[in-house]
Parts: sequence; C-alpha cells; structure tokens
Amino acid sequence: MNPIELFGKIIEISHSNLEISSRIKSILNIISQDLHYEEVMAYTLDQDKRLTCRYLNDRSTLFPILNKYRCRVGEGIAGGVAQKRAPQHFTSRDIPPRFGCLFYPELDGQIERFKSFAFLPLSDDSYLYGVLVAISTREAIQDSEKILLSMLSREIGGILRTYSLIIESKKRISELATLSELGRVLASDVEPEELLKNIALIVAKALSAQFVTIKLEYPFLRIGSQRFTNGTIEPLMMQYVNEMEIESIKNKRSMSLKDHISEAEEGHLRFSLHTSPMMSKNRIIGAITMGASKAQYFIAEEDGRSLINTISNYMSNGLENTLLNRRLRDVVRELNDAQKRLIEQEKLKSLGEMTANIAHEIKNPLVIIGGFAKRLAKKTHLDQTENRYIDIILKEVTRLESILNEVLNYVKEGPTLTGACDINSCIDEIISLFAPDSTWKDIKIEKMFDNKLDPVICDSQQIKQVFINILMNAFEAMDGRGTIEVKTEQSVVNGKMFMSAAISDTGGGIDPSIMENIFNPFFTTKEKGTGLGLAISNKIVTNNNGRLEIKNMVGKGATFIVYLPLENKTGEGFV
Amino acid sequence: MKKIKLLIVDDEENIRILFKEELEDEGYEVETASNGFTALEKFRKGTFDLIVLDIKMPGMDGIQVLNEIKNINKDQPVILCSAYGEFKQDFSSWVSDEYVVKSADTGELKQTIKNILSL
Ligand SMILES: Nc1ncnc2c1ncn2[C@@H]1O[C@H](COP(=O)(O)OP(=O)(O)OP(=O)(O)O)[C@@H](O)[C@H]1O
Ligand SMILES: [Mg+2]
Repeated sequence: MNPIELFGKIIEISHSNLEISSRIKSILNIISQDLHYEEVMAYTLDQDKRLTCRYLNDRSTLFPILNKYRCRVGEGIAGGVAQKRAPQHFTSRDIPPRFGCLFYPELDGQIERFKSFAFLPLSDDSYLYGVLVAISTREAIQDSEKILLSMLSREIGGILRTYSLIIESKKRISELATLSELGRVLASDVEPEELLKNIALIVAKALSAQFVTIKLEYPFLRIGSQRFTNGTIEPLMMQYVNEMEIESIKNKRSMSLKDHISEAEEGHLRFSLHTSPMMSKNRIIGAITMGASKAQYFIAEEDGRSLINTISNYMSNGLENTLLNRRLRDVVRELNDAQKRLIEQEKLKSLGEMTANIAHEIKNPLVIIGGFAKRLAKKTHLDQTENRYIDIILKEVTRLESILNEVLNYVKEGPTLTGACDINSCIDEIISLFAPDSTWKDIKIEKMFDNKLDPVICDSQQIKQVFINILMNAFEAMDGRGTIEVKTEQSVVNGKMFMSAAISDTGGGIDPSIMENIFNPFFTTKEKGTGLGLAISNKIVTNNNGRLEIKNMVGKGATFIVYLPLENKTGEGFV
Repeated sequence: MKKIKLLIVDDEENIRILFKEELEDEGYEVETASNGFTALEKFRKGTFDLIVLDIKMPGMDGIQVLNEIKNINKDQPVILCSAYGEFKQDFSSWVSDEYVVKSADTGELKQTIKNILSL
C-alpha cells in the first residue's frame, strides 16, 4: 500500500466514531499488516505517571508479558523514549537480545527471533501520552519507513490527546453541573433544614457516595438539628466520622481514610471516608464527610478528593450567606409583624377613644328615651296598639343599649382578672351552654381535648367570651347544620410553650377577599351582625399575650386557633 | 315619718327629670343639681341620705365632686353613675359606695339605693 493510501485509511479511522481502544487497535493492526511489524503495541501514561502497555495488534505474542510490567518515565528503553520524546530505532545487532531492565526474563526464548525494534513517543508539542513500540523480524528498516512510523505515532498521539481532553471536559462538566445545582439549591427559598438535606443529596449523587453528612458548628442559626445526612451511616463508621470531623475542624484541613478495614464482632467493615472542613471567610462553619463501604473511586482518586474540596469551598460560602440571609429575613419578618400589630393597636386605640365618646353621647339620650317611654306606659292608660308601640320603642332601646355595651366592652383596655384557667373545662362549660338549645340540634360537636393540658394564666371570663364568639360564628357559618371540631393541645411556637385551642367548622370557609377585614371592628357580612365578635376576640387574646390565627379552607370550612402562653413556660408571649 | 332625701347630680336635664320622677314615685324626696359646684353647695347646706353622682360632667366631674364630699364627710353615702361601665372595676376599691351604669331600665339604680340605705 502506498503511503498516501495508508494515511487516508488512518485518518479515516482516527476521525471515526469508534471507541478509543478500537480506533487505536485498528491503527496498530494497519501498521502491523501494511508495514510488516509482527508486534505493535502502545504504552500509555497512567495517573501515577507510569507507563503501561495497554494497546496491541491482533497477532501480538509479547503483549501478555509486557503488560505485566509498568515502568516510570526515564526507566528502560520505553521510559527513556518517553523522557526524551525522541524516537529510537535499533536492531538486534546493535543491542544483545537481553535488553536489561525493559525486557524481562520471560522474554527469553521469545525475543530472539525479532531483528528490528522501533520506540516512538506518542506526544504533541506539550504533552506526552505514551510510547509506540513496533517490533519486526525483518533486519533492514528503511529511513522512509521510519518517517512514516513517526507520522503515525503522531496521529495516535492526537487520538489520545482528544480522548484525554474529552475525559477532562466531561469531568469538568459534571463538576459544573453539580456546582450549578448547588447554586440553585442555595438560591432556592426553602427552610435551612431542607436546604442542607438537599445539599447532602446533591453531593452524594455527584460522587456516588454511600452517604454524605454535613455537620454544622453554627449555633447562631438556631437550627434544630446540627447534622444533615443523606444515605445511611453504620454505627461503626459513625465513630470514625465523628473523629474525622473533630480533627478536620480543629486543623482546618481535609482528611481521608482510604480503604480502611475495621474489625468488629459482627465481622469486619471495609470503607473509605473523606472529610472536608466547611470554611466561610476563614471561619469554620462545619464539616462535610462522605463515605463508601468499599474503596470507591471518589475517595481513592485525587480527582474525587479535589472535587469534594471544591464543592465544600463553594458551598460553605454560599451556605453561610444563604443561612444568614434567611435568618435575617425571619428577623425582619418578625419585626414587620410586630410593627404591624403596633400600628393596628394604635389605630384601634384612637378608634376606641372616638367610639367611647360617641357611645357616651348616644347612651344618655337613649336612657332618656327608654326611661320616659316606660313612664309613659306606667302613667297613662293605653290601648293594645299603643302598648305595642311602647314595647317596640323599649325593645329597640334595649337593643341599642346592648350594642353600645358591646362597643364599649371592645374599647375597654387590658386583661383584668387573671388567674389559672383550665381551658378544657372552660370550653366544656360554653358548649354545655349552647348544645342543649334546640337550634343546635343539627350541630355535631367533636371534642379532642388534650387531658394533660397545663393551666393557662388568663382572664377566664374574657377567654370564654372569645370561645363564645368563635363558636357562634361557626354556628352561623354552617346555618345551624354541620360539625364543629374542638381540639386542644400544647405546642411550641418560636421556642415557647403555648396552649392551642382549634375550633373548626364545616361552613364553607371565609371568602378570601374579606380575609383581611374580618378582624376589623364593625366588619360583618351578616344582616344582624355587629362585626365586633372577632375584633373583640382578637383583642382579648392579644391582651392575654396570645394570638388568634385562622386556617381557611375555602369551600370546606374555617379553623380558628387560639394560642395562649402556658404558665411558667414562657415569658412575654408572642413577639 | 321623715322622707328619705336624695340628691341627683347630672348635667343632662332630661336625665335629672327622669331620675327625679322615677325616684319620687318610689317615695323619696329628690333634689337635683346640674353641675358639681351646685351639688357641693347643696351638700354643704343640707343633709342628704344619698347622693347620686354622674361621672362625666363639664367643669367639675363626678370624681372630683366625690372626693370633695368624702373629704367633708367620709360617711356620706354616694352612688357613682355613668353612661357606660368603663370605671366599674376601678371603683370597686374606691371611696364611692356603689357604681351603677345608667340604663333606660332604672331598676338597678332603685335596687342599689335600697341596698345602701338598707331598706
Ligand atoms: N367560621 C366562619 N366561617 C365563615 N366566615 C366567618 C367565620 N367567622 C367569621 N366569619 C366572617 O367574619 C365576619 C366577621 O365576624 P365577626 O364575628 O367579627 O362579626 P359577625 O359574626 O358578623 O358579627 P357578631 O359577631 O357581632 O354577631 C363575619 O361576618 C363572617 O363573614
Ligand atoms: Mg360573630
């Protein structure tokens, strides 16, 4: 075959879609057949900078022997060629059949039939990828042939180079993908606990680790747990994890335990661990540890370790920022809430003063009207119709008076008679007030009381008023037919103990468009409502250091939850 | 038998008329005053078995009048009376003998008077 044709074939192969090993093998076979070399092999450079004989032509017999040995750059003939990056050609006449350190004892009896040897570097201008070896039984090798071999070895070098670039960029891409996934998670709007769990999951996935565990050393964040794990850690491994975390946090350095075998009663356990400290602005915020039950690549290999360290660096900074932001956001929200409540209270106060004045001005004329109407009835002899008129006047006066009393009750300040109050029996008392009434006969009341409820310090008269208002609203929302569920329990809100009493109805819930108004005084959707029920209830609960909350399920029903602080378990109530 | 004498103090004329007539119907002798000064004047001159004091009055309010009265005679029975219940709790420990919220129904006022005079 002429050289041009040969090259055409080789270029075609090297640009084909075949797998790298098939491509190289095809080229080695062409060299073997067309240039008449019985043995054509390629050494490649490993991660640890050693040459390994990895590729061969089909009829090679020496490969199984050469493949057993690996050599350093500079060692032996192949090593020398690799170091100098210059081809070397020789015949059995130049060098005796035993070739010292490159050719090994097993070669005795095999090597003698070969007459000429060619070693060529597989390299480009900057990198060395391996060494091509071509061995022939022919004695004389022409110079033109040597040049051809050099060109072919360059071509093979090119293939190896492309391959290593692809591997490199694949690694880079997966690293970037992981980092971008982490970035997305860090920017997402989830709770810190969720966030840390997601991070552990992503890292575990990226490294195909058996587990990834993040330990936070950051009490400021007020996160419930300080460890977040993806996967399972055997108890025996956990001891090592703990120790490595402590060491790595103390020394601000990452640590590895490679293919460790631990003897235990249940048999031995073989695993690898790698711990990286999480540092943000030179401050330790915790440590991240990944592990596998076998010596897995990510821990065994340098690439894996550096990926872990990169991730840990990237994550720590972002994590701290995110967590701090979130904490800040919570604080700001708490402040905002507190401020809103203050404004609300101010508004109500001035409204209250005005209302009190108006009520006062109305009350006197009302007393006069009613009082004289009564006198009229007493003094004069009236017929039935006239008496009915008087009755109507008196009824309306009484109604107005009771509305005024409610209004004035609302503007009245502060809790007055506080004492220990058993909320369960308080609610029971009110239910037993309503339930016997015939209008309540189609209302099913389900009580789910926490019988171990601690007493609540509050004004029980006022609190009863709250439950009456809520129950009446439930009754009215259901048009006298449905189920009311009353559930009491103790719960922790913002780290403080509270009693909660939740009253749910099946009255279809509250129209979302009026949600923000229902606590406003005089807001009502009922023909005969005063709109004071919830306004008063909210005020009473707030005055007793509690909070009134609503869970609204449109189309189903509403739940009103009364939170009150528990005795000796809390300070000032809600912020 | 000598009639029991009451003093009604209120700035609203019609309230004065209403209370006066209602209480006279009960058999009391009733005098009225339309403000704190007149009330104190009458209190100094005459003797009353009971004084009914409105709280919210222009000039001198019911509380001031009450203090003056009790300074002069701490045993003088007084009922404070107001349009609404804002002072109810605060006055339980106060110097007034009773506290009544005004209402078209004068029953409570009448009953309170009876109680204080132990009739
Ligand atoms: N359980 C409920 N289901 C549906 N809507 C409700 C419920 N509770 C309250 N609401 C709505 O909130 C409004 C305000 O309630 P609030 O108790 O303050 O006043 P009201 O019930 O209308 O009048 P009042 O209580 O003085 O008789 C109601 O008119 C109603 O529209
Ligand atoms: Mg209501």
